Amino acid sequence: MKYINTLLALLIGVVLTVNTPVFADDISDLKAELAQMREEYENRINKLEQRLEQAETTQQQNQTDIARVSAQPISQAVKNSNSFNPAISMVLNGQFSDYSESDDDYELSGFALQGEGGLATEGFSLGESEITLSASVDQLFFGQATVALHDHDGDSEIETEEAFIETLGLSNGFTVRAGRFYSPIAYLNEKHTHSWNFADAPLIYRGLFGNQLSTDGLKLSYLLPTDLFIELGGSVGNGDQYPGSGEQSGIGDWLFYAKTGGDIGINHSWQASVSHWQTSPEDRKYDGGHDHGGGALDSVLFNGDTDISNISLIYKWAPNGNFKQQNITLLGEYFYLDEDGRLNNSAELASYDGKQYGGFVEGVYQFTQHWRTGLRYDRLGSDLRASDDELLTDAGLDFSGFNPQRYSLMLEWLPSEFSRIRAQINHDKSSSHKDNTEFFLQYTASIGAHRAHSF
Amino acid sequence: MNKIIISFLLVIVSSPTIADLNIFACEPEWAALSQELGGDKLTVFSATTGLQDPHYIQARPSLIAKARRADLLVCTGAELESSWLPLLQRKAGNAAIQNGASGYFMATDYVALLDIPSSLDRSQGDVHAAGNPHIQTSPLNILQVAKVLSQRMQNIDTDNADFYQQRWQDFSQRWQTAIDNWQQQAEPLIGIPIVVQHNSWGYLFDWLRLKKIAVLEAKLGVTPTIEDLNKVLKQLKITPAKMVVHAAYQSPRATDWLVSKTGIRKVTLPFTVGGNDQSHDLFSLYDDTIQRLLDANK
Repeated sequence: MKYINTLLALLIGVVLTVNTPVFADDISDLKAELAQMREEYENRINKLEQRLEQAETTQQQNQTDIARVSAQPISQAVKNSNSFNPAISMVLNGQFSDYSESDDDYELSGFALQGEGGLATEGFSLGESEITLSASVDQLFFGQATVALHDHDGDSEIETEEAFIETLGLSNGFTVRAGRFYSPIAYLNEKHTHSWNFADAPLIYRGLFGNQLSTDGLKLSYLLPTDLFIELGGSVGNGDQYPGSGEQSGIGDWLFYAKTGGDIGINHSWQASVSHWQTSPEDRKYDGGHDHGGGALDSVLFNGDTDISNISLIYKWAPNGNFKQQNITLLGEYFYLDEDGRLNNSAELASYDGKQYGGFVEGVYQFTQHWRTGLRYDRLGSDLRASDDELLTDAGLDFSGFNPQRYSLMLEWLPSEFSRIRAQINHDKSSSHKDNTEFFLQYTASIGAHRAHSF
Repeated sequence: MNKIIISFLLVIVSSPTIADLNIFACEPEWAALSQELGGDKLTVFSATTGLQDPHYIQARPSLIAKARRADLLVCTGAELESSWLPLLQRKAGNAAIQNGASGYFMATDYVALLDIPSSLDRSQGDVHAAGNPHIQTSPLNILQVAKVLSQRMQNIDTDNADFYQQRWQDFSQRWQTAIDNWQQQAEPLIGIPIVVQHNSWGYLFDWLRLKKIAVLEAKLGVTPTIEDLNKVLKQLKITPAKMVVHAAYQSPRATDWLVSKTGIRKVTLPFTVGGNDQSHDLFSLYDDTIQRLLDANK
């Protein structure tokens, strides 16, 4: 029996061992199938989960973002843009000039040329290199200084073009400025030469101011609280800047101006101004004096009252008011100088009544982002009377009443906001002698702090 | 004559007595946001429109006159207005809007900026030292700015503080719902490769998780040269993009060139309120922006 049992057990064992692989095959198939199915489902679920997760994270990110925003403490500026360093910028300038007539013979009929009033040196010349520093002084003042480096007769000279402090938000529209600044007469006069639209000064600036009028003194301006821009102001100075002259105690020159301006729709903007400047020059010297054979130059001097009135009008156009691509600028200025007094040199004395007037109109068209072209027309006149004409001749003043005229055409390439290459040609009839054709090729580049976009 | 003088004086005397808070917004998005937060308690003026490049504004007489009467400047900051806003501040004779005063509000002071350059050199274009100032392309930034701006209004105009607080709560709720909706709508755009003309879309791309694969302006603010464009063209042959994006106020010349060479889809986005007719307020600005991107992705 024991044997039978053992045999049975063996048989079962054999059967089992024989049969097991058969069962096992089916199961593993099933298993594999199941695994495959599971994998597929898992894949699908994974994908779904991923989508869900994505949606959730989007939602979550959004909510955390919003939560972050809501939780952020208020009124704490993240950054402080104030650094104590002043804004420093420099303008580099150079030009090549070519004239059909020599620049030494240049004359402006009816006007005496002073200071930098003549033509730029022929050939290659380094123009003015200007350095400007500006910053808030404290909570009340803003300070700015511009010094210009230029060559004069082979020497490098440093000239203080502007150096002033100005109140910051004195309130109620008042602003006070003190120091040296370009006088608030006309439109171009307040701008530095490098931001003018042409390579040289308008003839009237040349004739009346020796290029530009500046004031050492005080300026007060008041801006009306109206939607239309209306500014009234005035300045007082020491009166020693040409055409002023002499050391004067107290107020040497004074100026009053009124400006108004605004927009017409989105595309157009304009500004108009009137101004009046007054000074009483003492011993203003005319450089045109002649040598009277004795060796020493016997200069003619002027003493009396000088009044200059100005009216200026500027209009700008840009499609949609967007100046970057295209724009047009039209500018016209007219000056009238009235002088009353006497002329004298060491030998003679004469009463003098002089009127010098004129102006210019210019139009500049920027037709693409990088190119501009412009036209300018200058015209001057004069009516000079003296009790002794000889003194006028000695002063170098042409009293024939000839009307100087000039036509200018320029083309500019602006590689960026910071650089400019300009070509300009003038047909200049400044004096009755001979017409002059003047050609300029000029570069202007600014480095450092971003130049301000004044109107 | 006397009558004229008297009426003139009356104009002068009467104009500053208007009780409203005078807002001078440098860009239309801040004008729109101020309007949302202050409603009829404000008189809002926008110095620029959606079709103007805010870098290239001049300190026009009209802007000086407006700055003179402003109680609160709401501007972008981060040097975006650095060539004209300081001039306005100087010429306006208005203590309220000077740097650091209560009426001086620069939105970028309250947002973490992208694209802060590691080196500053103008040969790289018109680089913004402070970082990308165009924060209005993400509504999350708007929310952040709105909160601080509302607080500022409450501080300046204490009489109406409750009103401003209410407006802010109402706005933030509507705005958060809107953000949820925009993000759901924009989901199909996640990871879409896009070319941009000017590198000013960082905040939008981060928010919607779009992929910027090329910039047409190799140097910031400098019109791309034909070499620059050809480089992009070459790059696109290897990794194609779905669309090219430029702002409505920019000249589309570079974008059009790329479209003509590759047939890529061109998307003109409003960039700010008023950038196109559809974007008349902040909500419609994003509605329209996302719609245009979705349309181009079809």
